[in-house]
Amino acid sequence: MLAYTINRILYLIPVLFILTVVVFSFVHFLPGDVIDVLGGQEGVFDPAVRQALQQEYGLDKPLYVQYLVWLNRVLHGNFGTSLVTRRPIAIEFFQRIPATVYLALVSTAISLMIAVPLGTMAAVKRHTVVDYAAQVLSLVGISIPEFWFALLCVLFFALYLGWLPSSEYYSPLDHFGLSLKHMILPAAALGIRQAAITTRLTRSTMLDEVQKEYVDTARSLGLPERRVIYRYTLRNAMIPTITISGLQLAQLLGGTVVVETIFAWPGVGRTLFEAIISRDFPVIQAGVLILGIAVVVMNLLVDLLYRVLNPRVRLA
Amino acid sequence: MHQATQASESELSRRAFLAATGGILTGAAAFGVMAQAGAAQRHPTRGGTLRFATRADISGLDLHRNIIYLVSMPLAAINQGLLDLDARSEPVPGVAAAWEATPDLQRYTFQLRQGVLFHNGREVDAAAVKWNFARMQDAKIAHPLTRSALENVQEVEVVDKYTVRCHLHTPSAAFPADVVYYPCALMAPDSADRADLHPIGCGPFKFAKWDRNNITELVRFENYFETDAEGNSLPYLDALLGRPKREDRVRLTALRTGEADLIDSMAYADAADFATKYAGKFQTWEVPTLATSFILFNLEKGPFTDKQVRLAAAHAIDHEAINQAVFHGRGEVARGFYAPASPWHAQGVEAWPPYDPDKARFLLRQARAVGTEVALQALPTPPYMQQTAELVQAMWAEVGFKVRFNLYDEVALNQNRRERTFHADSTAASYRWDPDGWFSRQILSTAPATRANSGFRNERADRLIAEARRTAERQKRLELYAAIDSLVNAELPLLYLYHLTLLEAGSMRLKGYQPSVSGAFSIRGGGIRTAWME
Repeated sequence: MLAYTINRILYLIPVLFILTVVVFSFVHFLPGDVIDVLGGQEGVFDPAVRQALQQEYGLDKPLYVQYLVWLNRVLHGNFGTSLVTRRPIAIEFFQRIPATVYLALVSTAISLMIAVPLGTMAAVKRHTVVDYAAQVLSLVGISIPEFWFALLCVLFFALYLGWLPSSEYYSPLDHFGLSLKHMILPAAALGIRQAAITTRLTRSTMLDEVQKEYVDTARSLGLPERRVIYRYTLRNAMIPTITISGLQLAQLLGGTVVVETIFAWPGVGRTLFEAIISRDFPVIQAGVLILGIAVVVMNLLVDLLYRVLNPRVRLA
Repeated sequence: MHQATQASESELSRRAFLAATGGILTGAAAFGVMAQAGAAQRHPTRGGTLRFATRADISGLDLHRNIIYLVSMPLAAINQGLLDLDARSEPVPGVAAAWEATPDLQRYTFQLRQGVLFHNGREVDAAAVKWNFARMQDAKIAHPLTRSALENVQEVEVVDKYTVRCHLHTPSAAFPADVVYYPCALMAPDSADRADLHPIGCGPFKFAKWDRNNITELVRFENYFETDAEGNSLPYLDALLGRPKREDRVRLTALRTGEADLIDSMAYADAADFATKYAGKFQTWEVPTLATSFILFNLEKGPFTDKQVRLAAAHAIDHEAINQAVFHGRGEVARGFYAPASPWHAQGVEAWPPYDPDKARFLLRQARAVGTEVALQALPTPPYMQQTAELVQAMWAEVGFKVRFNLYDEVALNQNRRERTFHADSTAASYRWDPDGWFSRQILSTAPATRANSGFRNERADRLIAEARRTAERQKRLELYAAIDSLVNAELPLLYLYHLTLLEAGSMRLKGYQPSVSGAFSIRGGGIRTAWME
């Protein structure tokens, strides 16, 4: 297990290197540079001033030099400063990570809490009202656009019922109750849509699993149905569900610009989006690097979880 | 207060050697100042925390490096300058209690109030002003808008501790407007090394915290120099929490659910009936001179180098249709840069070519330009720029242009302008305190922005702009600006469309708040300085 984990972490190095090179090149292929943003609507039109500013921000150097300077800094644990705000990346980007992780974890938890029981019940009670209801609900969930569902949630629960706040983020470390209250709507907006996908997946894998011989064997040995389903069948059926939930979680960690905008949620999605718009490449690079690590770590965790759920899974 | 300022300006014209002495007169008006910082007491009952949801957030904290837009960026409340703004968006005394100009309008002497403090306790003296102006003129530091405000300053002289004199390159009656706190906010010289992390200004509120796109937290500056009519120190509020919410409907929802006390820039569709629909539940404030929208033509490259094609494009535009479709009837058709609610609105401007699609077709045929491809561009936000461009695209297509419309982010759009690859641009410019701030930047042929935008070159316009700049008498200046706007409407480097009216809304608990006509929320004797929560 340890060797496997180390091996996967070593794989991370070339992956992240390639990722940063690609993103760095991509950002510099975009039209304009950060000087256009710093100039605003007034713009920096004087070539001499533009040149002076490019020098000031180190943008006059060849691209590979800019990249190597950045890489050297990062390898020394310094992600540099944002070109736009001139504040350390640690403040500018890393400060966003807790809000994003918090939202991603809660929405994934909501998704699993809905999807696993519902998908399992739908499979076990196939062709009953429960099954049909689960299928209709998941189809509706998949069909509704995320932003529209989020707006509906705000309209209904915040505006008409007044039960929940419509926007803003509070850290759970500072104000736990308040933070939970502000978390419910964005997490539900994301989680319920995810649950729709996961419910269908859980149902279909459960249907495959209950038809296998070991289930018949368990039943013929007289094991209680509840034990057959929840102890043996569900455990095996969970592998694809864990995979898809891991991918969904990784995607959420990359930020959800639309939901963050609707709920004024200060996550990494909006920060990265604005960094791209303003060609703030130190922030983009740091973001991509951190999110790349997050995705690889999530995949690693999913793989390790496979081994917990099913000991037959071994390294190829 | 405004009458006092006007009176001083009449005197100016008669004597012709004082550019402005409004400061002294205004000082005696309703809202006063402390003789010494900290001398006035707080109002016994007024206070509270105002939660202000805004469309925009700042890019950074350094007051010189960034534009702290005083309509929708709460951080503007920490700012103050040599001069302040009043409810009509006219320059009035700020840190400087009074000022005067030499007869040739080439030297301005500002008398500073004694005892005005920066938020770190350092006194705002002449040396601090000189240091600030030098930093604002540094091309490697200052924002282009800030730098352009002071580009006419040749030298800043410290006469004594409380007197500062600005020597100008060329005579300018507009100079007082250039040293207003937007964009020339003063910051403590000993705070420059932490300007990106903790700005120290000398305005009514102090900086406490900023988390980009999440919160701006400001607290009352207990030693701010301004007082109300009863001598109570301003501001009344204990704190100001800025909450940026980019989407218009998100801000409106926050107001309706009680999560915000004040919101800016309501969507035009909502603003159309909000005041009547929610009368008694929410307050609203009209901001009639927020900005002016226009279509910018590229006169150096592409089809609009031909004046006849520009005339055809102008005849094809139905202003009223755009007003109804985009602004829900809330825009005011612009025939010049300044709206009727502005003190700088000039009478007698000859309007642009009227809506006449048949004439547009005829002119286009005559110019052998039927089917000419036009590259029209706009920013996606604010939404009216895109919506206006879409209508203009349809109107131009109707008379025979072949319009390619593209939305660009700010970087790409500015690059297109710089590289001259656009033909027309649906855009807008925010209010300028003095007309010279508009005409010298966007119409004058030698201005960097004119060169990069329209590329307009017109000797007569240049002469009129220069003359207006060195003319002290207000009425004469208004006549000159009317002539320039008439010239703009005839030559069409740009086509004025609308004066943008913004609607702000707030909770009924918010008292004493009134923004300026151009939307500034921190103004002398008004705005958030005299606001409190019940």
